Amino acid sequence: MKPQTQLFGLYIPGQSVIHRLPVGAKYLLVLLGTIPSLLAQQWWLALAVLGIAAAVLMIARLPVRLALGFGWGMGILLALIVGYHSLYGRPLVGLTLATNLLACIWLSRVLTMTTPAPVLVDALVAASRPLDWVGLSSERFGLAVALMLRSIPYLVGLSGDVRNAARARGLERNCFASVTPFVIGAVAYAQRTGDALAARGLGDDD
Amino acid sequence: MIELHDVSVAVPVWGDGGRQRTKQLLTGVTASLPEQRVAVVGANGSGKSTLLRLLNGLITASAGRVLVDGIDPARDGKGARQRVGFVFTDPLSQLVMSTPADDIELSLRKRIRDRKERAARAQAVLDERGLGDVAHQSIYDLSGGERQLVSLATVLAIEPAIVVADEPTTLLDLRNRMDVCEALLGLPQQLLYATHDLDFAAQADRALVIQEGRLSFDGPAAEAISHYRGLMASGTRASGRGAPGAKAVGGA
Repeated sequence: MKPQTQLFGLYIPGQSVIHRLPVGAKYLLVLLGTIPSLLAQQWWLALAVLGIAAAVLMIARLPVRLALGFGWGMGILLALIVGYHSLYGRPLVGLTLATNLLACIWLSRVLTMTTPAPVLVDALVAASRPLDWVGLSSERFGLAVALMLRSIPYLVGLSGDVRNAARARGLERNCFASVTPFVIGAVAYAQRTGDALAARGLGDDD
Repeated sequence: MIELHDVSVAVPVWGDGGRQRTKQLLTGVTASLPEQRVAVVGANGSGKSTLLRLLNGLITASAGRVLVDGIDPARDGKGARQRVGFVFTDPLSQLVMSTPADDIELSLRKRIRDRKERAARAQAVLDERGLGDVAHQSIYDLSGGERQLVSLATVLAIEPAIVVADEPTTLLDLRNRMDVCEALLGLPQQLLYATHDLDFAAQADRALVIQEGRLSFDGPAAEAISHYRGLMASGTRASGRGAPGAKAVGGA
């Protein structure tokens, strides 16, 4: 799996009961699964949510590696969270945080891997219709979220490319050699995306 | 039809010491382009992309006037963009969704409200271009040629009257280049394309040579390519050195 697709996962067509659930129900599942656990910060709750997320992904009959796997970057991040808190004598806090983070990712995959992106966007646009009443655009909001789903994996891939380029030049310990190209690349990507959207008339007022 | 009336494009740039000056990207370009296929050739930085981006309002002329089927993109960008489909050099810049089907559905959102109908139309568009099998694959798993063909499909989904392609084959290997060229040249729409591939340019009905922001040659593709080769052989580059005797030529 390329870094560009491994974080949130890509839609995998299927006929499981999870695939056939209304998208609103799946959104609700994600919210109910993540928010209470994030607020409570209890290890047993985080573990329970993680277990439920894994179970739901298995019920969806998604390939285990794609559904539950994560890249080494995420692995390092989780390890850093646990390690940092362990250093300060709070290993359970670190474990709870890491477990909650992983649960959020797995639950989000319930949405992204069992629901076509256009359906996700339609649901978001429908839910944000009240924005139209106050002069904002629900369509643009839905588009922005869809772009976010598309952009985060791209930026993860970009960071990998930048790291490799720095390593190839023997500059892997040089912060500027890693951060500066990434920022420039991210801004350039945003500009190109803006041009592409403008060229397709997306965002032109109706 | 595309019309350019003494079009110039200038942009502010900041030089040494933070002083602002004006850089001329295009100067006094005039041409009427009714032909089915028009190629634009020129060195890197000569102004080809600037010229193309005027046509759908991505860039606005500093002077002069651009008309696309009677529409001025500077005044009616939306109208121009409904008539002009734009294919970028890098398809990853153009494809804003994760899969080809999702991307085409995005293009069709304003036209087709019903989700199932939109999905069916998106699949049909991909099937027409021989891309039905990759409809739900990640765009990162596609070859360069497939991505560019998907980009073209997203443009054609909204049925533009004119297709503008900015160096669509630059990033492709020979086989993919041939596939994309064949797809573009087979379009029923008017096609205007910038390219470094002179074999591709030779297929046009008419060609423009842009040199240092000026229209250096405007005429039959074969003659334009010959003129362009002469410019390159004499060491003329977009960076500022003009070939002896080079001048803007108006008309075929």
